[in-house]
Amino acid sequence: MDVSLLIAQFMSGLSRGMMLFLIASGLSLIFGVMNILNFAHATLWLVGAYCCYTFWYVLQESALGLWVSIGLAAIALAVIGWIIEVILIRRVYDRDLPEQLLLTYAMVLIVGDLIKLTWGVEDRIIVRPNLVSGPIFLFDIPLDSYFIVVILVGISVAIGLWLFLQKTRYGHIVRAAVFSREMVSALGIPIPRIYTGVFVLGIFIAGLAGAVQAPVGSITLGMDMAIIIQAFCVVVIGGFGSLLGTLVGSIIVGEVYAFSILFWPQGALVLIFIVTAVILIVRPWGLFGTPMRV
Amino acid sequence: MKRMWWLALVFIVVLILPLITGEFWVHVLVEILILGLFAASFNMIFGYMGQLSFGHAAYYGVGAYATGLLMVKGSVPLPICLLASMIVAGLCALILGYFCVRLTGIYFAILTLAFGQLIYYIIFQWYSFTGGDDGLQGIIPPDVLLSANAYYYFTLIIVVAALIAIWRISESPFGYTMRAIRENTERTRFIGINIRRYMLINFVIAGIFAGLAGALWGPFNRSIAPDLCTWHQSGIPVFMTVIGGPFNFFGPMVGSVIYTFLMAFVTGFTEYWPLTIGLIITCVVLFMPGGVLGLCEKKIRVFRSRAPQLDPIETTEGKSSGYGG
Repeated sequence: MDVSLLIAQFMSGLSRGMMLFLIASGLSLIFGVMNILNFAHATLWLVGAYCCYTFWYVLQESALGLWVSIGLAAIALAVIGWIIEVILIRRVYDRDLPEQLLLTYAMVLIVGDLIKLTWGVEDRIIVRPNLVSGPIFLFDIPLDSYFIVVILVGISVAIGLWLFLQKTRYGHIVRAAVFSREMVSALGIPIPRIYTGVFVLGIFIAGLAGAVQAPVGSITLGMDMAIIIQAFCVVVIGGFGSLLGTLVGSIIVGEVYAFSILFWPQGALVLIFIVTAVILIVRPWGLFGTPMRV
Repeated sequence: MKRMWWLALVFIVVLILPLITGEFWVHVLVEILILGLFAASFNMIFGYMGQLSFGHAAYYGVGAYATGLLMVKGSVPLPICLLASMIVAGLCALILGYFCVRLTGIYFAILTLAFGQLIYYIIFQWYSFTGGDDGLQGIIPPDVLLSANAYYYFTLIIVVAALIAIWRISESPFGYTMRAIRENTERTRFIGINIRRYMLINFVIAGIFAGLAGALWGPFNRSIAPDLCTWHQSGIPVFMTVIGGPFNFFGPMVGSVIYTFLMAFVTGFTEYWPLTIGLIITCVVLFMPGGVLGLCEKKIRVFRSRAPQLDPIETTEGKSSGYGG
């Protein structure tokens, strides 16, 4: 086994892990604060990818077309997230878990078909700008240069979220809400507004992730289905509501996937589910979560 | 007593129906029966035990594959295949359920989902044994059951027998223990009931009936594919149960009738079936919690409370039938 192959595989696992982190962090945040497991998270991520394609298609003449479209797509998704929150999610705050789960599952079907109606069934491909189209060489090992973009975006979002949660007043409120919503609302903080903010933030990150994903390969219908289950696995492994846990969990899943492709290709996904099941059984609250809420 | 009349009427209708409809609708009826049994088995976990399983298709798929493999590779007679499917699905539910019943709520849902996907990927990747994503073709039922009507009556007998079995279980002390666990786990534990063992037994029974439903699917469809185990397939009984009403014994069956008829009807002129069912589910969740039967019961109760009350016991308690209690 060649060392350069291992390093290349490690980098590809890292970029995959970072993509999973971008999806799972929003998922984990929304679940941690609102106690709603958003099945439609990856479907909205896919909407982000398609939006990015459309913006890029309009702007492709300009030099910064792709980068501007990524930003626009993320903002568009934040707006969509806000609309969904106000119209649908707000109505099921105090419903039972199965009903909330079903509502977001129904959203998967609805949004999935709306994507089909809007963008059609054929695959969409974004032609990358020169800056990220060729390979770059790390210790003479050729790597896809776009991997670096994905990893950088992942790291910046991780740092940004960490700063937000640790250093700002709103971040403190969100962290407090993860532990006890009753206490936060007793302090006179309007919980519904916090919920809306968290949901919009989560969908914004998902949209950003989708837009960043768009130039990686072709954008295909149904891409969201495989990724949402893996994002669940990440959140379970890391622990609901824990940012560090989500980061570690996504790197674990990304690397397990990348290396099992190398050594045991049939078992790549099986292995991820086994790891998830073991963690759920031994430590249901995940590696970094706290066993507070039952 | 009044319910008995209803049941008899429904029974006569389902006996006559295939004789007056075309072959296409007979196929839809068979699908309703099979998926209805699948949904009823799911509701043993959801309705009685109060836990949402998102990987119930695993046992359905395992049952389908057990029958499919035995028939294609071993030419084993169908009745033995059905029995084998129930045993294999039950064993599967025993092994995986052992872990699942340790968790509740969202963790239960995700673990069942993860196990379901695990089974799916095993079947998907194990080319030499299961045929991978090519699935299994040529699952031909025995000669007597080759016509659509014959297979319909065969399915009807098995599904009705299975539903009666589920009904008996739900009305047994065991069934009431499950309701107690759903309503108040802590208190039930204090009475001295081994919660996990009861939940596991229930999980296994649900898996056995899901396996039976899956076993009926293969010979009906003449082929099976690993898609039968995905989480989309697991979503179908959830949808049916929610549409029909989880707190009524007939809820899953009613849901299956509505869901399957609608699907057969809607897919006739549009490919956007997911959009349609998604909107329906959204409306049910937002405006009609308790499903169609829940709504009916509420209306009947309102209607009765307006009428002069001759028999108060009958009006308050008599109507709450099935799982809800």
